Amino acid sequence: MRTILNKKPTFWLLLALPALLLELAWWQGRIDTMDMIHPTGEWSARLMIIAMMLGPMAALLGRRPWLDWLLARRRAFGVAAFGYAVLHLIFYLIDMGNLDDILAEWMAPGIWTGWAAMLLMLPIALTSNDGAMRALRAGWKRVQRLVYPTALLTLLHWFWVHNSYAAALVHFAPLIIIWTLVLIKKSIKTPMKAGV
Amino acid sequence: MRALIPLTIAAAGLAFVSASPAEATGAIKCKAGPQSGWKTQAALKAKLVKEGWTVRKSKVDGGCYEVYGTTPEGDRVEAYFHPVSLEKLYVARRGEVLFRKEGY
Repeated sequence: MRTILNKKPTFWLLLALPALLLELAWWQGRIDTMDMIHPTGEWSARLMIIAMMLGPMAALLGRRPWLDWLLARRRAFGVAAFGYAVLHLIFYLIDMGNLDDILAEWMAPGIWTGWAAMLLMLPIALTSNDGAMRALRAGWKRVQRLVYPTALLTLLHWFWVHNSYAAALVHFAPLIIIWTLVLIKKSIKTPMKAGV
Repeated sequence: MRALIPLTIAAAGLAFVSASPAEATGAIKCKAGPQSGWKTQAALKAKLVKEGWTVRKSKVDGGCYEVYGTTPEGDRVEAYFHPVSLEKLYVARRGEVLFRKEGY
């Protein structure tokens, strides 16, 4: 049982489960195309936030078995976040149905931020494999750091497209809290020395 | 401090998991009284179609009728109407407010 749970394909299946359930409901007509856009986007943001929290968590807590287990799967979280973003885009395109409507609203604050986040995710996702990691060497980390502007754009996209802050903030709060805690821990460890 | 970190993570995780999908944008509230006094969504749809709208979907949100559709001018929007008077109260395109009736 444990070995099955620890297999990579099992974990991929787990990450794909919300998408499979949503798609099934859509296929059966229980969810409108329009209503597929929000949950796919939300899952994308969730998985991105989880991937981003693992590093700071390790910095806070040190090595923990469960954290190691998650860190070994960090890339899967990130790639899955991209997968859900692609689904989000696909359902948006199906719902819009024509290029004119898409072009008419691309400059709305809630929309261009989404497009921009999607574009920034592309190089991150394309380099999320061992081959790219070896080929890019030090540059790889720089590419992956695009996740920070991506997260900011995602937050703004969510803020503006819904014209409300609550849901977006609830999702991003854990990340903001953990960054704050890391900063606090750092400042405790290296107290500012007077007159250096 | 040592206990604070896992506790905060746990609390944040809980908030994270319990976050309900915000389907209702709740852009405006109508306070239109009991639903027995409301006109039907079908009546609103008929009125809008007559005016040149395309109605994709309608539902109740914030005590108003919320309509997803295309305006006679060709803008794809999300619009709110008063369920008793069927008056247009609020129009937004992807969260960008295009029209808001005074007082709402």
